[in-house]
Amino acid sequence: MTWWQALIDGGAVPGRGGKSDEPEGGAADPADLVEGAELQAHPLVDRSAAQIPAEVSFLNGIERWSVVAYDGVVQIVSAYVAAAVRRRDTEGVLHTTFERSRSFVVAPVERMTPPLRQVLEQSVTDIEPIDGELVGQPARYLEKVESTVRRVRAHLERELAEACTNGLGAEEWLILDGLLSRSPAVARHPRALGVIKSHGAQFLEGRGLERALTLPAGNRTSVFAVRGGHTRTEVYSWYVRLWPWEGNDLLYGLLRVEGRAHPDTVARASELSGWLWAERAPLATPATRWDRLLYPLHQVEEYLKALAPRDLQLHRASRLPRTGT
Amino acid sequence: MIATARSDAAPIGRVVATELKPSTPHQFHFWTATDTSIGIGAIVKVEELGAGGSGIGRIVYGVVTEGFAYSDLATPLHDVVGAEGDPTRAVHPPTARQQIRYWTAAVLRQMPEEPLQPVPLGQVFVAGDADVAQALRMDAYLYSATPTAIPIGLYTSAGLEAPVYLDADFLIGPEAAHLNISGVSGLATKTSAVEFLLASIFAHFPAHKGRVAALCFNVKGPDLCFLDQPGNLSDEDRRRYERLAVPSTPFERVRLYAPLKADGVNLNTLRTHPDLVGAVEPLTWGLQEVVDYAEVLLNRDDIDAKADAFIDFLRDRVLGRTFDDGFGTTHRVQTFADLDRLFRSIFDGLEITAGGRSDSWRTHHIATMRKVRNRLLNISTRCKGLVTDDGPSSDLPWEEFEDRTVYVIDIANVDPLGQDLVFARVVSKLREQLERRELGVDAVVVFVDELNKYAPGDGPETYVKKMLLDISERGRYLGLVLFGAEQFRSQVHRRVVGNAGTQVFGRMDMDELATPGYQVLTPATKSKLATLPIGELMVRHPHFTQPIFVRFPKPPVLRGRDGVERFPPAMDVPFDDAVVRQLVRLDQGGRGGRIRPNQVKDLIADRDQDDVRRALAAVRHTRPEDALAYFRKVLGARIAPEAAVPRERHAVPPLNPISEEPY
Repeated sequence: MTWWQALIDGGAVPGRGGKSDEPEGGAADPADLVEGAELQAHPLVDRSAAQIPAEVSFLNGIERWSVVAYDGVVQIVSAYVAAAVRRRDTEGVLHTTFERSRSFVVAPVERMTPPLRQVLEQSVTDIEPIDGELVGQPARYLEKVESTVRRVRAHLERELAEACTNGLGAEEWLILDGLLSRSPAVARHPRALGVIKSHGAQFLEGRGLERALTLPAGNRTSVFAVRGGHTRTEVYSWYVRLWPWEGNDLLYGLLRVEGRAHPDTVARASELSGWLWAERAPLATPATRWDRLLYPLHQVEEYLKALAPRDLQLHRASRLPRTGT
Repeated sequence: MIATARSDAAPIGRVVATELKPSTPHQFHFWTATDTSIGIGAIVKVEELGAGGSGIGRIVYGVVTEGFAYSDLATPLHDVVGAEGDPTRAVHPPTARQQIRYWTAAVLRQMPEEPLQPVPLGQVFVAGDADVAQALRMDAYLYSATPTAIPIGLYTSAGLEAPVYLDADFLIGPEAAHLNISGVSGLATKTSAVEFLLASIFAHFPAHKGRVAALCFNVKGPDLCFLDQPGNLSDEDRRRYERLAVPSTPFERVRLYAPLKADGVNLNTLRTHPDLVGAVEPLTWGLQEVVDYAEVLLNRDDIDAKADAFIDFLRDRVLGRTFDDGFGTTHRVQTFADLDRLFRSIFDGLEITAGGRSDSWRTHHIATMRKVRNRLLNISTRCKGLVTDDGPSSDLPWEEFEDRTVYVIDIANVDPLGQDLVFARVVSKLREQLERRELGVDAVVVFVDELNKYAPGDGPETYVKKMLLDISERGRYLGLVLFGAEQFRSQVHRRVVGNAGTQVFGRMDMDELATPGYQVLTPATKSKLATLPIGELMVRHPHFTQPIFVRFPKPPVLRGRDGVERFPPAMDVPFDDAVVRQLVRLDQGGRGGRIRPNQVKDLIADRDQDDVRRALAAVRHTRPEDALAYFRKVLGARIAPEAAVPRERHAVPPLNPISEEPY
């Protein structure tokens, strides 16, 4: 018997994994509970009884970047971000309704040699400036590049979400991958939900946190208010467990949902959670985070990946030429 | 001509190529919407963007040979997990999985044809009429100054309908020739297809290629007995006939031949209804017609070189000549009865004149002669009705074949030996006449069903098989074209099917499709072949680089089964009534109206039936203006001299095969 088996026999819950989520952007303030006096687990109705809106659009985005040239130690980055909204029809098939992309260069132009800077500025119109102080520290520089690209992507997604919510039908919902609170307009929309898969920022503590992280599958937590994103717009949020975490890890199958800060959100939290629970099938495989990734959001991502420039595909383990055979 | 403008129609798909599944000069892959109108056998067109992104570059035509559908499901287990093991939960997921319709197509034609390159990544369109003509290379013989196109059916796919044509130069000759059709029995596909194709040939055979006729052996029931009678066509069938520019009417000129039954007067066919029997000509042959094909009739196992030599002797020195048997009797052997007399004279001579001391005659041993006598005379017994002991024969018009006429020989109820004889002699005569250019037409299509029986891949080398091989390999130079049909193509001699320039397939049995001959077909094509509906065929033709599926209309003639229902065969009539009926039909001048039955019956009363048959055969042979007068004359003239010389027997008696004679 292994030592951990002895722990499990002693009452611990079996686990697996060790990967931690990347931290969410922005600082997390402690949450204010808006449903009940204490954070509780609320069982959801059976998935087959879930009320799924007839009209739903899904928004997701992707980013790609790669160092494509060096001017001395200055790393010149080619980047691509894209986002799309795809509406689900009555047959369950997604159709693209909004779509935007941006190809741009990330470069500290003031640190480049004049001839190369001239060449760059003549051949590329879309250059995203970056602080040149980190040029001498390549690793930190690339972290800065990454955050820059993410910021551009978040901006693109926000624009698209606002455009989409402006045109949403009377009964149509929008589910977006990530924080709802990035855009005040979207955050206040009555039929927009943000679905967050990463749990780097914790809004709960103590007994409430433990209840949230050990939430059984098919349950949601009580609703609490959070402020997120750089706009600090208040939204209501709660956790939903899509798949049993026992035997996996605490975050397995755990979603955090954001809706507008309105009493109606609290009233409908169980109904909306039941809907999202029903969305766990089909599985979003082969995505590694399929346990938290809703399939339609996965499909939007796959759609965007198919359109992304091939030269910015993620590097494989080996940089040797790779063949299909 | 290569089109220079892009297709106006919306594309239905796009070519995709990966390292694992690349495009090649002969194959490509494309995807379509999930809800698409194309399927296996559909013809598609790929258009490559021209240089600079304007106009069109290379155009490729292909036929869909395989289809795939799959989703983004990584493993079936994920579906189980998603549904929590409950299939009912998996029925209506909120979001449909991303899925693909992915097709493989075989290249039919590339334009330009040189340099031959892999299929480009381009948009895929459904092929229209003109595209089908281009794809199948039909433009060369459809739009030329001397078109040679023969419609075989309609290509139908994606709501489009385009005629498909065969090239007469490759169907009738001389470039290639022959057609072979395979398919399971009982669906009437093979016979119907040949009937339709014959109608199409007659309607479209180009004048510059001369005159054409067809000769069909009816070997099963009433299959081909009603080709001159209209069948029941639906409006859809008539529309297809119109689209193919083929008249939806039965054959205008049909000549039917059938042997007589053993009674020598009733026809051995199912087309004996009083309204139709008049159009059936008796087919009877005598010794002269048969002896040249003795090889067909004699079992090779017991006819050795010595017997062969004796048959040759009879053929060269005896038949049709005045011949002294060496025992004081002169013979002129023209019939089986004459031959029997000659044999008896020889045997008596050896027994009596030579006192039994000699056992050979003209170097031929008596045992050999007995064996040959036994076998030859047995023919007239086994094939009684087809082979007559005595009297003139009734044969096909070997020098007067008519243009666009179908000659049907009904041998369905004839002994297999007789069928072989009919087949061998008819085909040999056709060949002889065509070689001499004396048949009356320039080309003859010979339709033979049941090739599994007549030209099997294994088994003994029969005379019939050799003849079929000969037609297959050399017939196209003569204009002798074989349209063969069988159930199992794999079991027909491969030189017979291999020499057929055009191959047609109806619904096939899966076991048959599993044989090596079908390895070139994809599983999807095989599945389609195994479930082909009536009226649909797969066609391979020298101009088509890939098999093409076509629909053909129901033939415009009465099907055999319907024919016997509408025109039930008459019961055999008594001898005298049969004679009356035949004389009425043979009376050319008076059209039968001046022949009164009682007149004929009085004439033949108390007359020997063999004499009456001979007289009737003479009328049939001569075709006089006044049939009755000539019949009376022949009956009288024939009887008188023979009455003076009492015959030992009235007819050649059947030989008892279990006699004490060891041969």
